[in-house]
Amino acid sequence: MNDKSESRLDALFAAARSEGTIDFDRAEFGFETRLMARLREERASSVSTWAWKLCPFFAAIAIAAGVWSRTTSARVQADTSIISEAASRSDEQLLVAYMTGDHR
Amino acid sequence: MNALALAWIASPDDPAIANARPMDEPVAPDDARLVAAVLGGDDSAFAALVSRHKRRVFSTASRFARDEHQLDDIAQEVFLRAFRNLAQYRGDAPFEHWLSRITVSACYDFLRKERKIREQISLDGAEWDIRDETVENAVSAGRARELLAWALHRLSADEQLILTLCELEERPVREVAELTGWSESNVKVRAFRARQNLKKVLETSHER
Repeated sequence: MNDKSESRLDALFAAARSEGTIDFDRAEFGFETRLMARLREERASSVSTWAWKLCPFFAAIAIAAGVWSRTTSARVQADTSIISEAASRSDEQLLVAYMTGDHR
Repeated sequence: MNALALAWIASPDDPAIANARPMDEPVAPDDARLVAAVLGGDDSAFAALVSRHKRRVFSTASRFARDEHQLDDIAQEVFLRAFRNLAQYRGDAPFEHWLSRITVSACYDFLRKERKIREQISLDGAEWDIRDETVENAVSAGRARELLAWALHRLSADEQLILTLCELEERPVREVAELTGWSESNVKVRAFRARQNLKKVLETSHER
């Protein structure tokens, strides 16, 4: 019984082998062209995918640059006002000293 | 110069002379050179590699695909994987061996995907027709491949792969072990179990 089913299976495999496979001559035609087109498409899509993936990174850099420039300009503004105040006071002192003759 | 050498030179029918390549005809570069050119960014070198090896890939993949579209999909997947992983090809084995492993891996993934799809859809009319066929009738009617394909689809992807490689392609156990990455004893055990399961599928379908 077992031998019979084994031989039936062997016969089925042998017959399937002799029947061959699906004809792939048509599938082979122009295969390189289709494949290279798909490769180019994949490359192009991978570039745009990377660009999208890097978007948050660039956005974070832009925000950080904005924050940094804002704090820096505020500090520069504060420094400028202190200097101008000091400079205006110094002018007054210079005038008083000139008038009183203490400038020499 | 001895007589044998003179005879060799004088004979125009000698296959070595007949097949000799003229000096001005370009020699086709070997696979290693083409691989190096592809890695250097030359796409035409990859097209040349594909042209050289596509027939072998199609031949293996045609055992797993049911139609031309599936065959084209598998073959494209094989070469896309080869292109993506070309830098990993070390050149210590022939390129076709490396490509054969990729082919088997792509076919295995295809079988797994197919099985998932088939679990979700019902059988069509042609399958209901073939499943009631006995092995003897199918063989005599020239539908052995059809019946076998139907029965194989009832098995797991591992079993389909091992039976296709061992029984349909008649590859030696050692080669199947190299292609699949399984040990030789594992291949033998899997092939035996797959055969038993295939027999069960064929017997139960016929008894129904």
